[in-house]
Parts: sequence; structure tokens; C-alpha cells
Amino acid sequence: MRLNDCDPGFKHEVAAEPGGEGIRACFACAACSARCPVGANRPDYDPRRLIRLTLLGRRDEVLSSPLIWLCSSCYTCGEVCPQQVRFTEVLTAIKNIAAREGHAPPSAKITAELLAKQGRLLEVTDFENDKRADLGLPPVEQRPGDFQAILGLKPAEGEAGEEPR
Amino acid sequence: MTNAQLDTPVLILGGGVAGLAAAVDLARRGVAATIIEREPRLGGRASQFCCKATEACARCGACRLGELLVQAAHLPQITIYTAALAVAAQPQGDGWRVELSPQPGGEIGPGPGRPLRERTTLNTQAVILAVGGEAFNPAGKTRFGHGRVDGVFSALELEAMLSQGALGPDGLAPAKVAFIQCVGSRDASLGRLWCSRVCCGYALRMGRVIRKLLPESQVTFFHMDVQDYGRAWEDELPELRKQMRFVRAMPGEVTAGDGRPEVTYALAGEQAIKEGFDLVVLSVGLGPPNGASALGELFGAAKDSDGFLTTDGGPAGVFVAGAAAGPRSLNESMVHGGLAASQAASRVASLTEARHG
Ligand SMILES: Cc1cc2nc3c(=O)[nH]c(=O)nc-3n(C[C@H](O)[C@H](O)[C@H](O)COP(=O)(O)OP(=O)(O)OC[C@H]3O[C@@H](n4cnc5c(N)ncnc54)[C@H](O)[C@@H]3O)c2cc1C
Ligand code: SF4
Ligand code: SF4
Ligand code: SF4
Ligand code: SF4
Repeated sequence: MRLNDCDPGFKHEVAAEPGGEGIRACFACAACSARCPVGANRPDYDPRRLIRLTLLGRRDEVLSSPLIWLCSSCYTCGEVCPQQVRFTEVLTAIKNIAAREGHAPPSAKITAELLAKQGRLLEVTDFENDKRADLGLPPVEQRPGDFQAILGLKPAEGEAGEEPR
Repeated sequence: MTNAQLDTPVLILGGGVAGLAAAVDLARRGVAATIIEREPRLGGRASQFCCKATEACARCGACRLGELLVQAAHLPQITIYTAALAVAAQPQGDGWRVELSPQPGGEIGPGPGRPLRERTTLNTQAVILAVGGEAFNPAGKTRFGHGRVDGVFSALELEAMLSQGALGPDGLAPAKVAFIQCVGSRDASLGRLWCSRVCCGYALRMGRVIRKLLPESQVTFFHMDVQDYGRAWEDELPELRKQMRFVRAMPGEVTAGDGRPEVTYALAGEQAIKEGFDLVVLSVGLGPPNGASALGELFGAAKDSDGFLTTDGGPAGVFVAGAAAGPRSLNESMVHGGLAASQAASRVASLTEARHG
């Protein structure tokens, strides 16, 4: 590794992103790596390593890595972290930067399309609503508007929107 | 019934190494002092500690308690009451008026001092708070299994086991021992941000003692980094690294395995693994004294941002010594006791001068 290939500003960029500020506190203690369920199945997925690469400024390597999209957002790393780094949020910050630079994997695009269409990942069908009706529960509506606004497909709704169900 | 009355230039609360060192230092300066110890016995934490010498003395400081007790017993300027608690205090003239209450369990033992028998009112010109710090209760770090998983002990329990000879050829003979460092220290999730400063030293020294007692044993030291724990500590490390396995990772958890505890940890560049040990020792840190707020109320003692007692910003004539003021080794606590003694002595001298001048 050459120092010239490292971007010393990358850690500050991540820390400036919402959720990314926790990276400043990491001790590199590896408690997160010991407990991460994704790492337990993928030898190359290691939260401590992703943090070290980010702190070292390996910007391109981190942002283009397919590994950053593997996190299951289970928050176990945050539970065991002595430093309240909240790695799940740090990784979200890193993924946001990566997505802006066109590194989002195809699965993320499919997820976005589903959310824009359905307002949730699983489509709500008559099957679910019939079951709910049997139990005396009101039907679930698909309200994709919020996601369309987040994804920039339409302007944001006012505060006075219908209560989500 | 009126209380018994007692006058003393300096009152020292706590008969651990810091309080004893303060009393000895004052006596050398010709100032009399009274030590009030809550427990039936003097000595504080150090009375539970093992000798950590192997080929040579490890300078752990534990035996200096014995020297202090002998000195305290022979110096006529020192009065000691055990099984006594300060229950009320108010500023009175230049000093303090303190109510002492006898505690159950006081018996005349082999050491210096005798139990307080009746409620006593004590007038003093200076107070030294040498009440020690609280060792972290490792049950507060649930994932390390203390109290739930057999074979998991706190370092305090190991100190007692070693000093009683429970570990070794004639006792328990663990083949694999793990130390987990920084338990209850440097942990923002517990709100305990400080390094406890003694636990790297005691763990490495006890690890070396175990290797000496049981040469077949393997010792693993799970840590983030090694802190300076005393003179020449860096020179010892190469040799310690040969005797023990240094793993630079904090375990994720300790679980009950097949009859023994299992430690889950991740080495750099490798997948997390579970490894079985016979004995897992949690190197608990030192925190503020439990009664810090009670003493704060009694004497108006000031606290620092971590909750330790501090002389700075507190009322005149109240000084703090030893682990009550922050994590300190035995040797450092004795030096700190000496510092509080010199401060108290100069207060007593200036009050006496003012009175006679
Ligand atoms: C597991 C463990 C291992 C350690 N090993 C080492 C080691 O090997 N070497 C080393 O240098 N240091 C070691 N330490 C640190 C050591 O314990 C402290 O440096 C030392 O005990 C501090 O001395 P002290 O006199 O300030 O407090 P203490 O030893 O805690 O003594 C305080 C005394 O005050 C009494 N007291 C408390 N409240 C009151 C009250 N309200 N009124 C009257 N009396 C009161 C207590 O009963 C006690 O006798 C270790 C600590 C731990 C937790
Ligand atoms: S949140 Fe992601 S990185 Fe953290 S433990 Fe879960 S899968 Fe691993
Ligand atoms: S547990 Fe927290 S401090 Fe330790 S390596 Fe992971 S993120 Fe860093
Ligand atoms: S200082 Fe510690 S190691 Fe050295 S002789 Fe005394 S008790 Fe033993
Ligand atoms: S002395 Fe060592 S084990 Fe103790 S808190 Fe500091 S770094 Fe951790």
C-alpha cells in the first residue's frame, strides 16, 4: 500500500455524513468482528477491517467494495461496541456516499424500484388483507408516496398527509 | 447519653494503603492522626492480593501493606479505630466536628487498631478521605458471563484464589487461562471512559505467576493495548510475550461451552472463532467509591467529571488520597497519601500558628 494512494480526507467525509460521526471513536478492538453474523459466514466481511480501511483513507477500495452492501443491519456490532461507534450507521453513511457515486449494486436499484412502486418491499395482496379481515384488522394500504419523494421521483408531501396504517 | 469525645489534628477516613501511608507520613512530621476504618480489618483491597513475584519481585506493591501496618502499630502519633463509620459532619470553627458510629463485626484482631465501641464525637482540623475506589462488578458486562458461566472469575477473585493457594499443583490446575482486559474501563457504553491503569499490570503479573505455578498452562491476554503499569514495564514485555499469547482483540462474548467457558473473538484478517478455556479472568477496573455521594453530602467533597473525589474545588481542610481520587496503583496510592498528608500538615501548622501568633 502506498500512502499516496490514501485519501486522508475520507474519514472526515464519512464523519460528516449523518450517522458517520461515530467512526471517530473506534478503538479497533474487534468486538464487533467477533459477533457479526455476516462475518461468521463470509470470511472477508469484517467490520473492524472496513473501519480501518476508511480511517486509512482507502476511499476507492471501500466505496467500490461489494462487501459494504452485505451488512444485515442487525445492530449486534453496536450492542457490543465499547465506544458507541454504531457501525451500522457508519456503514449507512459510507453506502450513501457510494450510492451517490454510482456504486450501488443492482439489488439496491431493485429495492428502490420496489419501494417506489409499493411503499414496502413485500407487495400487499388480497391474501394478507383477507387474513387481516378474518382477524378483524383493517386492510393495509400501500403508500409509496413517501419513498417516491425520498427517491426524488415526486415532490415531498406536506405534513398533513393521511395517517399511515 | 452524651457521646465520647475525641480531638485529633487530622482525621483519616479509610485504612487502606493510602490512608495508612498518610498517617505514617503525618507521624513523621510530628502530626498526630486518627484513622477510621469502616471494616473490622485494616488494609483495604491490598489485604486480598497475592504476591506476584516469580524469579524476582514483580514490584506489585502488595507486601508494602505489611510494612505500613507495622509502622502504624508502632508510631505513637497514630490512633486507629476499625468498624467505625462517620455518620454526620459539620464545619466547626477552623475544622470539622464528626459523629462516628460503631459498626457491627468489630473484634480485636492481630493488626493495629481496635474497634470503636460507642458513638463518638470527634473534632479535627483536617480530614483526609482515603476510602478507595469500587472495583467494577463484572456482572454489569453481561456478555462476559460472570455469574452465569462456570469458570468465569473476576480478577479480584483470582487474586484471592492465588493468595490462598487455591490455584497451583496442590489445587485447581487449569491448563488454559484467558484474561479479558478493560472490563468496566474505557467503555463509553457503560459511561466509564477512563483507563483503570492497574489492570494491565496485575493481569500480566498474575499470568506470569500462573505460568510459574503450572508451567504446562497456557495464558492468553485479550487486550486493546498495554498501558504503562510501572517502572520498566516496557522492558518486561518481550519476555512476557514469550510466556503468554497476546491477542489484540476484545472478545465478543463468553458462553458456556462443553463443560468450560468459550470465548468468541476475531483476529485481524480472520473469521471469528470460539475457543474453550478452563479459566476466564475478567480484569475489572477501578471506579469512583460507592459512597462518593454520601461523602459528598457529609463533607461537601467535590467530584471530577468521572465521579472520583477531588481535593480541588472542595471545602477547606478536606483532602482526598488514593484510589478514591482516581485509578491508582498501590505504590501511587501511597505516594498520593503522602501528598495529602503534607497538605493536611501545612493546614494544621498554619491554623496552630494563627492561634498562637
Ligand atoms: C483486581 C484488582 C487487582 C489489583 N492489583 C493491584 C496490584 O497488583 N498492584 C497494585 O499496585 N494495585 C493493584 N490494584 C489497585 C489497588 O487496589 C489500589 O491501588 C489500592 O487498593 C488503593 O488503595 P486505597 O487505600 O486508596 O484504597 P483501598 O485499598 O480500597 O482502601 C480503602 C479503605 O477505606 C475503607 N473505607 C471505605 N469507605 C469508608 C468510609 N466511608 N469510612 C471509613 N472507611 C472506609 C475501606 O474499607 C478500605 O479499607 C488492583 C485493583 C484491583 C481491582
Ligand atoms: S449490523 Fe451489519 S456489521 Fe453490524 S453486526 Fe450486524 S451485519 Fe455485522
Ligand atoms: S466494537 Fe466498536 S470500537 Fe471495537 S472495533 Fe468495532 S466499532 Fe471499533
Ligand atoms: S512487591 Fe509484590 S511481587 Fe514483590 S515481593 Fe512484594 S508482594 Fe511479592
Ligand atoms: S490498565 Fe489496561 S486493562 Fe486496565 S483499563 Fe487500562 S488498558 Fe484496560
